[in-house]
Amino acid sequence: MTSATVGAKSDGGHVLVTVSGEIDLANAGLVQDQIFSAIDNDAVRVSVDLTEVIYLDSSGLRVLFTLAGRLKVLQMELDLIVAPASPVRRVLEMSGFDPLA
Amino acid sequence: MSTSARARLEAEHKLRRIGLVSDRALANLATEDLLPELLDRVRQVLGTDTAVVLLLEPGDRELVAIAARGIETEVAQGVRVPVGKGFAGQVVARREPIQLNRVDSTTVVNRLLWEKGIHTLLGVPLLVGGEALGVLHVGTLTSREFTPEDVELLQLAADRIALAAHAQRSKAERAAAAELQRSLLPTKLPSVPGLELAARYVPGDEGAIAGDWYDVFLLPNGWLGVVIGDVVGHGLPAAIVMGRMRSALRAFALEGGHPAEVLANLDRKMQHFEPGMMATVLYALVEPTFERLHVSSAGHLVPVQGRVGERARLLDVAVDPPIGALRDVRRRVSVVEMPPGSVVCFYTDGLVERRGAALDHGLERLCDAVHPAQAHSVCADVMAMMIGEDTPDDDVALLAVRRQDGADVGPLELTVPAIPESLKEVRSAMRRWLIIVNASPDATSDLLVAVGEATSNSVEHAYGPAGGVIKIRLELRGQDVIANVCDEGRWRPPRGENRGRGTLLMRRCGDEVRIDHRPHGTEVMIRRTIANGQAE
Repeated sequence: MTSATVGAKSDGGHVLVTVSGEIDLANAGLVQDQIFSAIDNDAVRVSVDLTEVIYLDSSGLRVLFTLAGRLKVLQMELDLIVAPASPVRRVLEMSGFDPLA
Repeated sequence: MSTSARARLEAEHKLRRIGLVSDRALANLATEDLLPELLDRVRQVLGTDTAVVLLLEPGDRELVAIAARGIETEVAQGVRVPVGKGFAGQVVARREPIQLNRVDSTTVVNRLLWEKGIHTLLGVPLLVGGEALGVLHVGTLTSREFTPEDVELLQLAADRIALAAHAQRSKAERAAAAELQRSLLPTKLPSVPGLELAARYVPGDEGAIAGDWYDVFLLPNGWLGVVIGDVVGHGLPAAIVMGRMRSALRAFALEGGHPAEVLANLDRKMQHFEPGMMATVLYALVEPTFERLHVSSAGHLVPVQGRVGERARLLDVAVDPPIGALRDVRRRVSVVEMPPGSVVCFYTDGLVERRGAALDHGLERLCDAVHPAQAHSVCADVMAMMIGEDTPDDDVALLAVRRQDGADVGPLELTVPAIPESLKEVRSAMRRWLIIVNASPDATSDLLVAVGEATSNSVEHAYGPAGGVIKIRLELRGQDVIANVCDEGRWRPPRGENRGRGTLLMRRCGDEVRIDHRPHGTEVMIRRTIANGQAE
């Protein structure tokens, strides 16, 4: 079973969500729930650190796009932290995902 | 005729009468249940009440009663007598007959003897070629003075018993050592896609076993452990120590840690539990990507590596002292490259050492013999060139490990159930295969995503609730990987928000992507170069 770990730290209005492991069809729903529940209503800015994610496909993209859509509605800023020349950066660039840090 | 010559003749005569000289009786002695019967005859002919045989335990520190008449409880209770102590202990230590006329706690270790009321004891050593194997003694409940003839007779009987016991013990030990050796060498080497493994073990002259061993095992973290070793000594004792080292090394290897740590642990364990033993051992770990070998050698001969287009040579590996040689040794790890197509040969000294020839000469010959071919043919070549028609004096172990290159690698074929849980399994198998074919990091990432998307589509859209299977095949054609993902269903159009991105991503990850929707299933073909560079 594909596994990913989601952690979160809140500092004032800034929430840092750290994800590690792999994200595919098998666990994308779970990862989405964990990320969403880590973000408080009073957050102003959300950073998602994907440095330790070693695999991500369109299921993972769907989580990120959905997150971006929700945060836009809630008027929260989103940025992603991705390692240079990593598989995750590659997939994000191919998909045209915008808020790349 | 002198007195002693007459005594001897007289004794021979008596022995013949009790059948102790018959070959058949002696051959059958090997079965051990005839020993009590022979002791009965000794008792009868010497007119004694008891007769006992004790044999030395391995290590020569204690005697153990193995047969007794007139005092059978001695065997049943497993009586042990330390060498040099008491009556029997003195006989074996001094290697000469002893008569004892006062049997009590001050002269005899075994209390059964004085409790039984034995008054006089006569004991002689069991000797073969000057080596003491044990003691034969007789006892009487009344006071008695044994004559020189009695002593001569008992010694003759002891010599015969000793010969039979010795023959039986050596035969049993040889058989046990061979059996132990066989049971401890891997019957089947692990199957590791991307690596070829082959091994040979040949006993030395007259089936001599000398504690050589090799071992190969996969660790839970994906590293492959390779061991070769040689215990100092011969026969059953060496084979037993070898067995213990093999188990201990496996246990320490499972704990993780680099090869020097594992050998340091092994050294500590052996020095504590098997003091006085010594062995050379080499432990190597192959990286899960097969790119490098991490080696630590405890006094063992350095492996030979054959690379494509180069003459084979000794690996550049630091050699530390053998196991059991010194306390608190600093052990080192050497890291060596394993280029695609290269082979590494691990071996024991029997392969390269010849009487009257320098070791360097043997190593030179081995380097001549090793070529980067398939592992089993490397073993065949090396054995043919190094051993040929000879029977080696020493036993020989040889283990060849070859990293396949792209050209050797067959296609990857997988059939998985169409469920999300299969995706991880597919990726794991693909990652291993892509390493073997030497795919660039970008190509690896793209192929994982493209095949992952195709597989996810089949999982999500191909089947109804009853489910089905997905077949995945990757094949290398020149510099291209051709990946096929097939199901036996019909893809439904994507449902829900933010869907349909997968097919787009899949197309971007491949140099060429075709999706064939057929009445009886969907087949996706993805072509992607494995060389460096961007797809599209």
